[in-house]
Amino acid sequence: MNTPLLLKTIEDKTIVWFSGTDNYLVLEPMMAEILQDMANDVPLQKISEALAKQIDIPFNEASDFVNNACLNLFLPNTEQPENTSEFFDLEQPLHYSIKKHYRIDDKYFEVSYKDEFEAYLIHPKLSHLETDNDNTTNFSFQIYTKGNRTFLFDNTEFIGVWDRKNIHYMQGKFSMKLVEKLHNKPEDEWLGVFHASGVSNGKKSMLFLGDSGNGKSTSLALLQANGFTCLADDFVPMAADNRHIYSFPSGISIKKNSLTTLLPLYPELEDSAEFHFKTLNKIVRFLKPNNTDHKANLPCKDLVFITYDKTKSIDLQCNKISKIDAFQKLIPDSWVSKHHNNVTVFLEWFSQLNAYELTYSDNQKMITTVQNLFDNDL
Amino acid sequence: MKKDINTKEKITRQDAIKRIGNYGKYSVLTALGTYLILNPKTSQAQSVPENPSRGF
Repeated sequence: MNTPLLLKTIEDKTIVWFSGTDNYLVLEPMMAEILQDMANDVPLQKISEALAKQIDIPFNEASDFVNNACLNLFLPNTEQPENTSEFFDLEQPLHYSIKKHYRIDDKYFEVSYKDEFEAYLIHPKLSHLETDNDNTTNFSFQIYTKGNRTFLFDNTEFIGVWDRKNIHYMQGKFSMKLVEKLHNKPEDEWLGVFHASGVSNGKKSMLFLGDSGNGKSTSLALLQANGFTCLADDFVPMAADNRHIYSFPSGISIKKNSLTTLLPLYPELEDSAEFHFKTLNKIVRFLKPNNTDHKANLPCKDLVFITYDKTKSIDLQCNKISKIDAFQKLIPDSWVSKHHNNVTVFLEWFSQLNAYELTYSDNQKMITTVQNLFDNDL
Repeated sequence: MKKDINTKEKITRQDAIKRIGNYGKYSVLTALGTYLILNPKTSQAQSVPENPSRGF
């Protein structure tokens, strides 16, 4: 049975998820209970009477408040979104000019790109997986653009179509399909995908998060060179059944201004291909992740919001932060499954997490601190 | 469009804080009616939303 909302109290707040809009609201627990009453069809008058009594205010004030809450909060979030369907011509092109083959452990993927435009969207971060073996294909994808829209097919199955400004969703959907095939789990068996780095010490995993440009991928490259395993960079899938992080074998994107730091550890970066992302005005190279077992999946109970301090005024600072603060930082950048059961699991998983904020300019101290975090020894 | 799509999609704490009405002397209602609204991504997304131009 689909309920319109789900509640979870974490620390001193209650998180309410609305299935109609997929919005997560962080509220006072009493407010969340009011919304729950509305969802249970308790008459507004009765809710208002209870509120007036509970906080000792005149009924009129309580009623005004409850009506406002219903109008501005409850109703807008319980409306079902409109289903807009659009007709697309799904005839695939006769010819794809670029065909690449990738091997991930014992699985072979063939991706047909209509032209260089489509290839540039996907290939650079997978280039280290390219194989000459084009005799074995377990899975195949096709990507082409027609009329300023880019289409993605999983063999003969149409997956989606995106315009130019939403092309990052095409890339995300391709990555999701890759993950589904790699780990043999369809989309509804995944809890979410996080814009983070998934790091493991072989026994457990952690999510490292941070704004773009704050040193997340460079930190990951440093950790990888110091005994940790990169399970996934930028696109980290978590399964619903076990809340484990699984691998996504994309290359780690390294910006030009991190090369000085990383070249001593990774001399191969010197000759690796450079990719210019015009709109974002950044130039990146892709570093091969060190994970050798793409079936590896490990429990994750820790989030680390990591920032490299370019001013170098902070050697290292690491503090625990509130889960609610962490939730607010995590959600906007994440895809979370909209299946009710999965949302329940997600909120329960989140309620048990530890969340930290780590700011550093001393690389060695960062590595030691991360080691301590993994060892529960902060 | 030069704006970073990720920056555009992020909600700052200030933007995320909303209030239901203004309850003046009933500060308890103002507190009760203060909430954060957070929107996850509608679908999976890559963080680098542009295609590179050379080096392929």
